[in-house]
Amino acid sequence: MDKVFVIRNGAADGLPSRIVLEAGEKLKLTLVVMPGVSCERSVRVELNGPGAEADIAGLCLCEGKDRVSLELNLEHNSGGCTSRQLFKSLADDAAKVSFSGLVKVAAGAQKTKALQESHALLLSPDASVQSQPQLEIYADDVECSHGATTGYLNPDEQFYLRSRGVPEAEARRLQLISFISPVLQRLPEDLAAELSEAL
Amino acid sequence: MLLEIKGLHASVAGKEILKGIDLQIRRGEVHAVMGPNGAGKSTLSAVLAGKPGYEVTAGSVLWCGADLLKMTPEERSWAGIFLSFQYPVEIPGVSITAFMKAAVNAHRKAAGLPELKPAEFLKLLREKMAFVGMKPEFASRSVNEGFSGGEKKRNEIFQMAMLNPVLSILDETDSGLDVDALKIVAEGVNSLRSPEKSAIVITHYKRLLDYIVPDVVHILKDGRIIRTGDRSLVEEIEEYGYEKFNG
Repeated sequence: MDKVFVIRNGAADGLPSRIVLEAGEKLKLTLVVMPGVSCERSVRVELNGPGAEADIAGLCLCEGKDRVSLELNLEHNSGGCTSRQLFKSLADDAAKVSFSGLVKVAAGAQKTKALQESHALLLSPDASVQSQPQLEIYADDVECSHGATTGYLNPDEQFYLRSRGVPEAEARRLQLISFISPVLQRLPEDLAAELSEAL
Repeated sequence: MLLEIKGLHASVAGKEILKGIDLQIRRGEVHAVMGPNGAGKSTLSAVLAGKPGYEVTAGSVLWCGADLLKMTPEERSWAGIFLSFQYPVEIPGVSITAFMKAAVNAHRKAAGLPELKPAEFLKLLREKMAFVGMKPEFASRSVNEGFSGGEKKRNEIFQMAMLNPVLSILDETDSGLDVDALKIVAEGVNSLRSPEKSAIVITHYKRLLDYIVPDVVHILKDGRIIRTGDRSLVEEIEEYGYEKFNG
């Protein structure tokens, strides 16, 4: 299944808390947390048969006093499964984001491939982002990696854009689009346009 | 006078790089600034374009009589200054079209003109891409992402053609280019030359100046212009190197 879940105020998002994938089943899931939302969500994905694949991406756009806490647990219970997670967060004003991603590879789940990445941009000195990538591996023939970065807008990018006459605020918007583009590309056009406008 | 630099001193991270630059450029003139590595050539171009982190500690820069150093990078662009970067920046996920649309419309707004209609903008974009020999598919590619060295430099000259500057500063535009790419870039620059337009060509080598022939040549060494002459100075440098020139 290929699903996009959008968490916005006053609307049901339908995000399940548990997803089970049997042999050969494929999941493509994209989660978007809109600005102005405070929420806590936890999703557990179980890969229970060989050939199951989970491709999960998330995007948090947080501002004001938003408090967002996301927890994603990937359980590789069977060997020969693949999982990929990519999380991008923008934290502005006094927003706080926490992301915890656990990849658990069960004993005997050989030939597991798991990739986990989480990247955050801090847009204000009062914003904070906490990333907790965790790997728990009980098999020996696996390919697992994780990476987490938290940073600020790249001043060289900003200068390049401004040197062409793009005003500072618009340059910043283009930089934010650049940062979230890997997730933006997974979204339907109208939603991608709405997000680009909201930045 | 188009550009008037007087006694310019500038520092980066507390270290003085420019130690008193005097330089005057009139409309229609092409100036070459040559010098060894570490002389301050790129610092000079960065200061003129307004790159953050470069602190001017003394001196002045006038642009058509106005204080250039008080202007933001975008205001300098609107005023007609263009810097072709030595290392163009990659911006994944932002297309050349989106980038240029933002740039061109900001220029038009600053000039009190309405935004271009989408069809007018696309026509301009295609025309200028063809002008520098860029393939049309580059329009939808992310800015500089995965471009070869030559493609990046060509993209700089394309942006220059789009924005039609009064003063173009070419910072080591020849670095990393093979002869064919160099010729294309030089042709692009030369075809933008006019009695109204000026350029500063910053380079280490004579090579680019065989194609873009300068009116005035300066040697920049250890943060100072130690010699100014006509194009015959280029030959002298080629023959003797920078060693023999001392301030």
